[in-house]
Amino acid sequence: MSPDLQPLLLDALLAGGVLLLLVVDLFLKDTSKAVLADLTALIFVGLFGLSFAVDTSGSAFDGAYVGGEWPLFFKRLFFAIGALTALGSRDFVAERFMRRQGEFYMLLTSCVLGMTLLPGAQNLVLLLVAFELMGLPLSMLAAWAKTEDTKGQDRDAAEGGMKLYVVGAASTGVTFFGLSLVYGMSGHLDLAGLAAAPGSPLLTLGMFLTLAGMSFKIGAVPFHMWVPDTYQASPTPFVAFLSVAPKAAGFAALAAVFVKGFGSAAAVWAPALLAITTLTLVIGNLMAIPQSNVKRLLAFSGVAHIGYMLMALAIGTGEATGVLLFYLAGYAATNIGAFLVVNAVGGRDADVDIGLFNGFSRRSPGLAACLLIFLLSLAGIPFVVGFWAKLYVFIEAWRAGLGWLVFLGALLAVVGLWYYLQIAYAAYIRPPAADREQPVAVDPRTRLAIGVCLVAVIGMGAWPSPFIENALAAAKAFIAH
Amino acid sequence: MTPSTLALLSLFVPLGAAVLLGLLGPLRRTGRPAAFVSVAGALVALAGAVAILAGGDAALKPGAHLVWGWLSAGPATAVGIHVDGTSAWMLLVVTLVATCVQIYSLGYLHDEPPAALGRYFTYQSLFLFAMNTLVLAPNLLQAFLGWELVGLVSYLLIGFYFRKPSAAKAAVKAFWVTKFADLGFLIGLVTLYAKTGAFEWTAVTPVAGFVTLMLFFAVMGKSAQFPLHIWLPDAMEGPTPVSALLHAATMVAAGVFLIVRAEPLFAQAPMTREIMAYVGGFTALFAACIAVVQTDIKKVLAYSTCSQLGYMVTALGAGDTFAGYFHLSTHAFFKALLFLGAGSLIHAVHSNELKDMGGLFKKMPFSGAVFIIGAVALAGVPPFAGFFSKDLILEAVEHHHLYVPLAALAIAAFLTAFYMTRTVMMALFGAPSHAAEHAHEPGIDMKLPLGVLALLAIVAGFGGSWLAGLTGHEYAFHFTLVGGAGTAIGLLGIATGFWMFGPAQGGAPIKRGMAPVGVFIRYGLMDRLSTVAYGLMLAVGAIIAWIDRYVIDGVMNWSGWILLVGGRRLRGLQTGNVQDYVYAVALGIVVLGAWGILR
Repeated sequence: MSPDLQPLLLDALLAGGVLLLLVVDLFLKDTSKAVLADLTALIFVGLFGLSFAVDTSGSAFDGAYVGGEWPLFFKRLFFAIGALTALGSRDFVAERFMRRQGEFYMLLTSCVLGMTLLPGAQNLVLLLVAFELMGLPLSMLAAWAKTEDTKGQDRDAAEGGMKLYVVGAASTGVTFFGLSLVYGMSGHLDLAGLAAAPGSPLLTLGMFLTLAGMSFKIGAVPFHMWVPDTYQASPTPFVAFLSVAPKAAGFAALAAVFVKGFGSAAAVWAPALLAITTLTLVIGNLMAIPQSNVKRLLAFSGVAHIGYMLMALAIGTGEATGVLLFYLAGYAATNIGAFLVVNAVGGRDADVDIGLFNGFSRRSPGLAACLLIFLLSLAGIPFVVGFWAKLYVFIEAWRAGLGWLVFLGALLAVVGLWYYLQIAYAAYIRPPAADREQPVAVDPRTRLAIGVCLVAVIGMGAWPSPFIENALAAAKAFIAH
Repeated sequence: MTPSTLALLSLFVPLGAAVLLGLLGPLRRTGRPAAFVSVAGALVALAGAVAILAGGDAALKPGAHLVWGWLSAGPATAVGIHVDGTSAWMLLVVTLVATCVQIYSLGYLHDEPPAALGRYFTYQSLFLFAMNTLVLAPNLLQAFLGWELVGLVSYLLIGFYFRKPSAAKAAVKAFWVTKFADLGFLIGLVTLYAKTGAFEWTAVTPVAGFVTLMLFFAVMGKSAQFPLHIWLPDAMEGPTPVSALLHAATMVAAGVFLIVRAEPLFAQAPMTREIMAYVGGFTALFAACIAVVQTDIKKVLAYSTCSQLGYMVTALGAGDTFAGYFHLSTHAFFKALLFLGAGSLIHAVHSNELKDMGGLFKKMPFSGAVFIIGAVALAGVPPFAGFFSKDLILEAVEHHHLYVPLAALAIAAFLTAFYMTRTVMMALFGAPSHAAEHAHEPGIDMKLPLGVLALLAIVAGFGGSWLAGLTGHEYAFHFTLVGGAGTAIGLLGIATGFWMFGPAQGGAPIKRGMAPVGVFIRYGLMDRLSTVAYGLMLAVGAIIAWIDRYVIDGVMNWSGWILLVGGRRLRGLQTGNVQDYVYAVALGIVVLGAWGILR
């Protein structure tokens, strides 16, 4: 490989992995296609390991793509998420979509390819292409349950996918329109050029339209409405993926365009971003309270967490951006773990009512303890990663003079504890239903994936230093470049 | 061994026991052997604490500070231990009461299934670790970690009887209310770090006023100060030994300990101290009033705990750290004694209600005697432990001219003596109830801890000068007018109680008149107060949900209709209301766009 393409080495290998999955799929019988999940996981694990061994610094395509620590942090995160999703999906997908397993993993992998390409993009066109490479497979995967199941869930699934697609298309249009205004007014497609562009009303309009379009991907209020519906209708292991990976990618794009591209114009966009942050925190936390469907509850909880991450983004300093990365990593480990447990408890039910968790601790004490730890991490209790993530964000926000936002965020975190405890209450205190007393069945690979999430959540909670250092270094490299 | 080595031992041996029981399921499920592991851990911790103090205070004067760097990036901080007179003494109080409670639990929870017993003792060991983490914390961050962990273990221990729905509800409520208060701790920490770059106990900063106010908010939750005390009476749903350890002697006192530890910070904040004095004084009086009308022996003691914590907070508010700390120590002993003694009575009659007791002194002379010792210590009768510390608090509050809190404390002193006399008379004397006929003394495993605590409730008050020297203060008992008046008021309370609830059964009209008031306070006021606080958030959530559903959606639809008339065709898609979502996006975009242009 030419030195010019060195920063894209891992992405190129991942693209090769996509093709490999396609080809291998052709040679497998439907009954043995489950091995594709293992292959997918292996590809991701291999790339994760390789990311520590190879040098991906430098720039490619005349500076349109830049490697280094910032994209590397995201790539590792996406590889880890991909591997965990593949492991957690295997038996579920094999059972429910036996004939379409190959496409599931192929689309999942290409979606991750879009994500890994995104953080290094220094050019708006490349950024958007990567964004769409990620976005289109997401809608398809969200609708994956549509044909196989004839018990009425197909309509929900199609609807969930359709909602994601239609609203996504609208916001992509807005993003494109906004960025074309930005290009028209600044004459630049590269992020460095944007920084130097003189301010004008149309440029500001373009900036804000871009903000609106990208806010959709991360599910910030008022662009969040697709989130609960899509989560409810989609295959749960995929929701584990959907609830973390596109958010991380969306934040990478937002950070690239705003913190870096328009960093000098922070006074213009920061107030709007703060308004979105406040709305997201309040609506996400409060809307989660009345939910009785655990997938919808976690969907709104996810919206709330986006609010905390937006807080870090809105501050816009190097430290705050590093804190954002740490938050993303901790949130990913926690949320994937939580959704995989939900998948195990919910089984084939598309609607995971909170009542299904009754007596969970007596049916499967180990799994219930895992769930409790994930919930405590989401709630931000010490000794698990969620606590540090929130504490770091609050400290940065306080330093940036956003004391009122720290108050609001801390208050809403207590509200959050309320609804997380509702799940824990069902799991630990209510007795199990008469027909649900046997232990929850979990396949070994899901078990492994949950175990990895658990180790990550506890490990990053007990010893956050290496992770936050890495995140801060990545953010520093990002700001400095 | 050096004090720091011993302190590490006291910290980690209970953790080892907890981990051992947590990971080895088969061992935990054996019940009693698991309990012995936990008790052994507590005994080692206690031995460590004793050895530290036996080493003399020369080693404790500068304070041994042993820390390891933990977080190097982000908010850099260290974990470790800080052993000085204050933390060494608190370590002794905590491990001593914990050991007594654990041994007592062996007898008290004798009938529990082995698996449940094993789980209970796992939590007990974990609690001891968590509490010691807090006590030995070299900085505020570690204190916060221990603080949160004790809250979590308290949740697990209250919910121990999870087959009892009321216990489970109480556990959630306790966790949630204290967690709500903890947001003050978090904000205090964040502010302190943002301004000073560290989490030091001794930080000197212009924002000390704000930081201490925030910390005090957290203390109000943990140490059950009005109006955040609502969780404590409900927490009595947990097993009685848990109430003795967590909700009387140690965990609820953690708030007071925090203020003692952070004295340098609070010294910079006269405003906060004044607020503390008033909040504490009001809580002392308010809770004492409620205790008077309780019919459940544990509820009497729970409100009494609130009230006594109010005493400590008032003393700290008056700036006399030692008075608060002294009362914390004596209170830990006699209140743990009262709870364990009450547990012994409850164990005998299988009821918490005072009316189911009566005449128990004849059946259970030992339990009755130790309970009376606890009661007179609480009432402040000389020369029992409570007398000295209460005397010092009254003196300190008077000395700082805080006359309103002083009056509140004085009335509370009368009420305290009164309601304890009432409880003693109703539970131990008079006509025995049906349930009390078959009552008998508990076994030696329950008697031994009672004996130890009773001894301490008698003599601990004389250790005041020694404790003052240990923690770098000066104290010698001397007679003052206000202290003497306080004692006289207490004796008057006892006399009144004896007149009304003793053999004479005097003051019948007062009792009749007070009966509806009592019912109102027991069933109306408290429930209403907590329901309001509790339901408020649910209501807000419901309102927001309603607004989201009807108002925001409506506005979206309306504005969407104006903006995207062509969007009507989308309705043919038959995919539910996806249009609304596009309108939502559109409205958001319009608002942002308008903001962009108009700004």
